[in-house]
Amino acid sequence: MSGLVLEGVSKSYGSVRAVYPTDLTLADGQLTALLGPSGCGKTTLLRMIAGLEDPSSGALTLRGRDITELPAHKRKFGMVFQSFALFPHLTVLGNVTYSLTISGVGRTEAETKARSLLDLVQLGAFAGRRIGELSGGQRQRVAIARALAQEPEVFLLDEPMSALDAKLREDMQVELRLLQQRLGITTIVVTHDQREAMTMADRIVVMSAGRVEQVGTPQEIYHQPANAFVAGFIGKANFFDAVAGPGGVRAGDVMLETKAEFHPGSAVQVAIRPERAALDHAAEGNTVSSKVTFVRDLGPVREYHLDTPVGVMVVEYAMGENSRTYKVGDTPKLWLPPDALLVFAVDQPHQSLVAAQ
Amino acid sequence: MSLVQDIGLSRTKDAARKPMISRGTLLRWGLALMTLGLCVVPFVLVFAISFGRKIEGAAWVWDFTFENYQRFFVGAMWPNDVTFLYLQQLGYSFWYAVIASCIAVLTALPFTLLLTRLTRRAQAMWLVFILSSLSLSEVFIVMGWDILLSNNSGLPALFKSTGLTQWLKDVGWFQTLRDWGLANPRNVKFKTSDFATILTMSYLVWPYAVILLYPPLSRLDPSLREAARTMGASNWQVIRTVVLPSVRLPLFGTTLLLFVFLLGTYVAVTVFADPSKHTTAVAIYSNVRGANLNAPFGATQAVILLVSASFCLVLGHKLNQWAEKRA
Repeated sequence: MSGLVLEGVSKSYGSVRAVYPTDLTLADGQLTALLGPSGCGKTTLLRMIAGLEDPSSGALTLRGRDITELPAHKRKFGMVFQSFALFPHLTVLGNVTYSLTISGVGRTEAETKARSLLDLVQLGAFAGRRIGELSGGQRQRVAIARALAQEPEVFLLDEPMSALDAKLREDMQVELRLLQQRLGITTIVVTHDQREAMTMADRIVVMSAGRVEQVGTPQEIYHQPANAFVAGFIGKANFFDAVAGPGGVRAGDVMLETKAEFHPGSAVQVAIRPERAALDHAAEGNTVSSKVTFVRDLGPVREYHLDTPVGVMVVEYAMGENSRTYKVGDTPKLWLPPDALLVFAVDQPHQSLVAAQ
Repeated sequence: MSLVQDIGLSRTKDAARKPMISRGTLLRWGLALMTLGLCVVPFVLVFAISFGRKIEGAAWVWDFTFENYQRFFVGAMWPNDVTFLYLQQLGYSFWYAVIASCIAVLTALPFTLLLTRLTRRAQAMWLVFILSSLSLSEVFIVMGWDILLSNNSGLPALFKSTGLTQWLKDVGWFQTLRDWGLANPRNVKFKTSDFATILTMSYLVWPYAVILLYPPLSRLDPSLREAARTMGASNWQVIRTVVLPSVRLPLFGTTLLLFVFLLGTYVAVTVFADPSKHTTAVAIYSNVRGANLNAPFGATQAVILLVSASFCLVLGHKLNQWAEKRA
């Protein structure tokens, strides 16, 4: 079911375009991640959804109801801010009951509900604490409980993990996803961390320079990136320039077979994920000579940095995936499977209007 | 020569080269003397003079009598008669200072809130303008308000010439103004009145209120207000439930500072307040330089005013500490 629909929503600050006209349809109960580098317009888009910024053009509808002109305090969208924005003058319980008190819910009822929400985020014992007495992870949980207290129709999170350390971030990603699935609430998360987006989201909206580059499931985004930007931003990729030819691409003297078809003679950019390439593979064709220049053993994965005729490449093996090991100076054959080669036209136009559904 | 003898000789030479008093010590002593001379000595003198005695028809002499303090609290005729004239003056000092400081802070708060939402450039321009207004002396400001509120050339004349006075009479509000002491039978009047006194005093300290409130309000995380908005709070509810509680300590501190500053206001009270409602500051001037020429009693009033202000500051500090502990 179409929950929240954005039609041609854009935002300009004077002559600066922060968000180009964007069409998105966010299904009910799904978790969508707005993913992109800093300054790509993802937070501005979220703020427009929350009603904290007025769109310069376009319309927002929630289950068929136009909410474009509806002020933030009448939208019933729970929001978790990057800084958590917890009220320092209130206790944990006071923060969670805030929206209920504002809407006129009786004190006893508000406190009962707030306590059940605090139990949900495993902070039941911290109700009487001041905000200053909590750790980063606890503050985040309070912010989540507070935003959920008003039973929002849409749950918005603006970089909710950015203030947490790496370990806690990983744990909270899983916890937040489980909580969202349990409550079945339509959720939008803004993040610049592709791991975070891949971990939590049903769908990812990749943004760059105010435009939507691609919308899809995490697997679609990773394995079928719409353009070189998405391929480079999501996960790791080796890139090299080539010229399209019949049935493949030519990079220097090397002819490589690909699945993608381009007009022969046009300039293209080719990408391949490090884990999709292989060394000394039994397959015939699509191999290039290489020389190992650096080996990086990260424990669960081992990376080989190679000099090849098409440029510097990185090949990655998971632990136990390949029993043979290489050392600096070895010259294995590098196999680039045709179906793993992602080919993008150079100067590919932005895919600015993409529907999520 | 042995090594021990060598070291001993070297130490003796070092000691000979070292000055008796180091530069740091000299600087510390200099600063201490300056502080003593500029701050402590005048206060000690005022304190000492407060125990002096006025010679009728002449000047005053050094003495050690509590007559001045007794006169301040229970009047000169005690124990035969008790008057609280000077306590009443102190009361008016507090009354004007409390009301004016509260009005200044309450009006400066929304202005400063709006100021923090302007662009950096606009904020800087406003702050420079407000800071420059602080260079105006109290005398100059009071003179301006004196003209503005004077019966013949100021607002009352404007009221009359534009027909506003007649309109007030027609709708029946003129009598209310008369009841409040803001009108005579013919026209509105602002001199002399509590209204004019408090208005001018508030105006005097309003720029200070803005300057003092600007840092905490500009540091207030805008996402706090936005979070409240997303939770259903209207603009007024955001101010009442988020902004005011978040800056309650700076608000209290600013009010306290302005209050203490206003306790010593002299010119505005002299010009605008009814003589029966003159403050301790005005009485001090009358005793020291004015008609009474009773420096010891003026000094006594000054000491009591100072102690009262100090008491308020200490009380405020304690309240602040208590509130911080609670937060």
